[in-house]
Amino acid sequence: METEKKEMTSKASPPVSIAEAFFVHLICGLGLALAFLIARHVYSADLISDPSRTLFLILIVECPIVILLYSRYRTDREQCSYLKAMARGILGLLAGAIINAFGAIVLGAPIGAQYLLKTLNWSLVMSSFGVVPSACVFGSSWMDWQRLFAYTKPNGTIDHMICIPAHGAIIGAWFGAWPMPLDWERPWQEWPICVSYGAVIGYSIAMVASLAFSHARSGLQHVKRD
Amino acid sequence: MSSSLTCTRLTLFTVAAVAIQITGLSFFVFGFFPVKPTLSGDSGSESFRAPMCYANQNESERDLPPHELQSLYQELSGIPPLYDQLILMVIDGLPAEFVLGKNGRPPTKTFMEAMPYTQSLLANGTAKGYHAKATPPTVTMPRLKAIVSGAIGGFLDVAFNFNTQALLDDNLLGQFSKIGRKMVMCGDETWLKLFPGLFMRHDGVSSFFVKDTVEVDKNVSRHLSYELSKNDWNLLILHYLGLDHVGHIGGRNSPLMAPKLMEMDEVVRMIHASAMMSPEDNKRTLLVVVSDHGMTENGNHGGSSYEETDSLLLFIGSKSHATDSASVISNDVNQVDIAATLALLFGVPIPKNSVGIMIPGMVDSLKDMQQLRALQLNSWQLLRLLQRQVPGFQCGSHPCDGFSGDNGYSGNGIMEKFCRLYLRAAALYDSWISTELSRSDSREDKSEIIAAYYEFLISANQWLSHKATDKPAKVIAFGVMSMILSCLIFSAVLYSIIQKKYFGEKRLSNGILTWHLDEGFSLSVIFILVISMGSSSMVEEEQYIWHYLISTLNMLLLRKTLQFFKKDSTCGLFTLFSGHERTSLRASSIFTLLITGRILRGWHQGGVNWTYLPDISKWLEQSGTDLQLIQLTSVLLTIILCLFSLSLLRRKTKIILVVGFNFFMSGLLVLHHIVKYRHNTSVPSSNAATSLAQIIYATLGITTVGTALAVPWVMPIQTSNVCSSDHAVSRPFKIGSQSQHPELRDCLYITGWVYIGSWCLLQLLLQQPVNTAVMLLILVQIYASFLFFSKGMQQQKQWVEVAVLYYIGMAGHFALGNSNSLATIDVAGAFLGVSNYSTLFSGILMFIITYASPTLLLLSMVMYISIKNLDIAASTQGADSGHVLKMTLGLPCLVSLTVNSILLIAYTIVLILMRNHLFVWSVFSPKYLYACATTVCILIGVFIVAATVTYAHMVLALRRNMIASINETR
Repeated sequence: METEKKEMTSKASPPVSIAEAFFVHLICGLGLALAFLIARHVYSADLISDPSRTLFLILIVECPIVILLYSRYRTDREQCSYLKAMARGILGLLAGAIINAFGAIVLGAPIGAQYLLKTLNWSLVMSSFGVVPSACVFGSSWMDWQRLFAYTKPNGTIDHMICIPAHGAIIGAWFGAWPMPLDWERPWQEWPICVSYGAVIGYSIAMVASLAFSHARSGLQHVKRD
Repeated sequence: MSSSLTCTRLTLFTVAAVAIQITGLSFFVFGFFPVKPTLSGDSGSESFRAPMCYANQNESERDLPPHELQSLYQELSGIPPLYDQLILMVIDGLPAEFVLGKNGRPPTKTFMEAMPYTQSLLANGTAKGYHAKATPPTVTMPRLKAIVSGAIGGFLDVAFNFNTQALLDDNLLGQFSKIGRKMVMCGDETWLKLFPGLFMRHDGVSSFFVKDTVEVDKNVSRHLSYELSKNDWNLLILHYLGLDHVGHIGGRNSPLMAPKLMEMDEVVRMIHASAMMSPEDNKRTLLVVVSDHGMTENGNHGGSSYEETDSLLLFIGSKSHATDSASVISNDVNQVDIAATLALLFGVPIPKNSVGIMIPGMVDSLKDMQQLRALQLNSWQLLRLLQRQVPGFQCGSHPCDGFSGDNGYSGNGIMEKFCRLYLRAAALYDSWISTELSRSDSREDKSEIIAAYYEFLISANQWLSHKATDKPAKVIAFGVMSMILSCLIFSAVLYSIIQKKYFGEKRLSNGILTWHLDEGFSLSVIFILVISMGSSSMVEEEQYIWHYLISTLNMLLLRKTLQFFKKDSTCGLFTLFSGHERTSLRASSIFTLLITGRILRGWHQGGVNWTYLPDISKWLEQSGTDLQLIQLTSVLLTIILCLFSLSLLRRKTKIILVVGFNFFMSGLLVLHHIVKYRHNTSVPSSNAATSLAQIIYATLGITTVGTALAVPWVMPIQTSNVCSSDHAVSRPFKIGSQSQHPELRDCLYITGWVYIGSWCLLQLLLQQPVNTAVMLLILVQIYASFLFFSKGMQQQKQWVEVAVLYYIGMAGHFALGNSNSLATIDVAGAFLGVSNYSTLFSGILMFIITYASPTLLLLSMVMYISIKNLDIAASTQGADSGHVLKMTLGLPCLVSLTVNSILLIAYTIVLILMRNHLFVWSVFSPKYLYACATTVCILIGVFIVAATVTYAHMVLALRRNMIASINETR
């Protein structure tokens, strides 16, 4: 059984070393920081003063990085070229945005013309955190999607790299919504500011966690091999 | 192990736990919220006579015109009024420390310099200053009530009078208006809410904008010179809010504080100069400067610390009294003393519930005889209250007659002490009166009598006020302990049931204790709620928590459903929807739940802080949509939905036709009522509307009760099935067959359906028109969740499903516009179909309206059991009737009871921890009342469910035995 699994993973995705994963995550993190820096210094805006624009900046910096990076690890290399993987990443961005917007609205995000742009940008950002990497790597393979998102059973470094940050962003956003109904009268309690903060923080923490997981898992495998 | 828990023992345990819970809850409630018996009505001339056992109300007195009443009072009291005019100047939130200092030390230099005029008045004896101790809650409205009525109200008094803000109890202003005094008010509009229509002229300012410290007081002072020159009033009330606002912004040491004090000092100077120093028409004026409460270092108030309760009382009279050496008693008084003192000074009866004592030194300018008379009147007032509060405090024709010794009195020691004190003072007074003519100088005697009276007054006052505010620790601890015990029993019983139910399954799954995400989350819902209840903002906005958690739980269930999508297929996101009908049904029902939940959340922007935000109900009302149309649509859709769900029953019998027809007729009646009477809301209660509503109540009641009682008797039993269910033959069939008890299942289905349908129709009649659509949506949610559960997989733990139903009920409760403040209770619907006012009936209707959603979800448990539990019960083992009942009823009832008991005990502990919190009376206590009402609702609902299922099961078992015996004899 174990050999079968190993065969499957080796066939499914090219082996990713910890160092490579580290660089991918590092670039993603730097991209996030860069987006915030551009917002601060070029447009002198941040999430609180202009959430819509800042989220849009995060999107246009982060999304290409993610698509470019993760398309390299596409599973079905024979049938799928790099370009095609990027194309399905863009498709995944749109589909994921719809799912994220639905989730946010169902959980209580306000509906209205003044919130339309914010919700749109926020869901695109969430999609680029969570859905786009998976779309680039797995395409439309239901088995893999189900494994990662319905069962949350990541298997191998690339799974960790996709699954844990995605869940981190969602859980961070979930916790980020808690202060919203409180009567603190702070500007950041507006939708989607604290939710975005929660998502970014959760995403960043989860990237570190995914590295730690991959490292621990590979260490375990080394021990087993010995 | 757990098999020892038979049905009987389970029932016994549960009933015992319920009993313990009710006992503990009532002990806690009556310990934490003491109910003080208040005397209704106003004090009249009888307050100038000694208290009697049988109140002889002088009816003719009621019809007396004001001036005659005034002279009657004057004649009876024997004390001429000392003053003609009263200026009551309320400075909100001023701590007495600012003016009088603390512990004998003068106030700080800044404050001394800020109020030069007041300090000079104090120094030369024109003004007398007191620390007037306020009782918590130290917020404005209850304090004003205490000032004018002299009574200490309990929280439950506030809660029970939530509907009327006007002060209905006897009070000083009422007494003044009875004898025709004219009143003017400028300042905080709370006065106008408390005394609507009492003031000749008024200008209310709102205390809403806390940030405004200047305008709010200017608006009061701008009338001052006019009123002082007009001088046609007897009572002028000035209420300055600015100082409280300064405190809220910057605390005690705010830089704005000294200027504000200076402004107040200027007002005092102005009044004193114009109204007292130069009286135009010889009117004697008394200026009373009071503050309603103090403030903490940060400027907050509401609690019971010294800083908050230390409020100011200044009497500034036109005459400078010579300080009497005999009355040098400490200047610590109570806020409730103000009412009694002012009543005695102005010659009106002391308000009926006043526990105050006359402030020493205020009547020094009276003759000795009149001073003593004032004390006598005051002690009669307290004696009257004592008589009322202690049932055993009996008396003969004369107060305290007959137990001067130890004969004839069998009360407790405290009462004896009061009696002794009172009798001693009264005897001294009587002897003094009788010998007064013969003696010339009676100074020593007099001070002895005064001391005797004060001894009685002070001890009685302390006893009375402690009775109102003391929280007996032992009673509370007993209550909490009982509630914890009952909670533990519930949890233990529930745990044993769950363990037994899933013991086999866990073994199958490799012995690993699998802990699914949805199970963990539905448990953590409870803990998140408990934690969030510690924050007052979260209590105010509880609806967001419920909605957020139930949506998250639904999403987790969706995720779990996705796990069963097309394991066989490896590719194609879009081929999903063609496959697996069962799973896609589950997914679509979850989507229905999510979307309807979101609509429900948006229906009412509940809570406290965000009510101004737009929501669907506001939008509907403002856009001018015909609400009747919504109502009609909801009723029609509800009827259609219900009839459709009835037709889903697999077995077709005539019973269904009869029940469905009954239901349809009641639905038509409701429609008729809406079309005919809601159309013109200007005529709310015509006779015909009332009788039609009563007919609907009767029809719904008879249909429901009749169905629940009759259906088990008339449900046809499939005899062939029963006969063949012998041991050997039926074994293999049992697992394959759909259910072992088809009759019971169908019977419960019909009964549960009738419960749901009737309850919905009742609510559609009672609820506000906007809320009818909410009821429809909740009904849709119920059916969607039933659909989801009925297509369930084995992995779905049943207690999760029951918990989901419970949570939906609570989320729906808030979606109907309810909140944790008492203000959102819908009172209007509670008078529908009530011909003559009945508190009980209206109360029941109010409860039905408020708890529409949780009760509906509890009633739906009957149908849920029919859909779900019987299969499980049959598939386990043995057809022993106790076992079947345990398996079917145990979980739905116990999960609701356990969740509720955990929440209740958590709220109890939060309330105890928060007893000194600023918002304990405004936020936490109303929430606790809601928690108690929810408990009542859950207990009633669970009782109905348990009784229905047990009854149906018993009747069917009886009939089955009868048929079997007939067959045997044949």
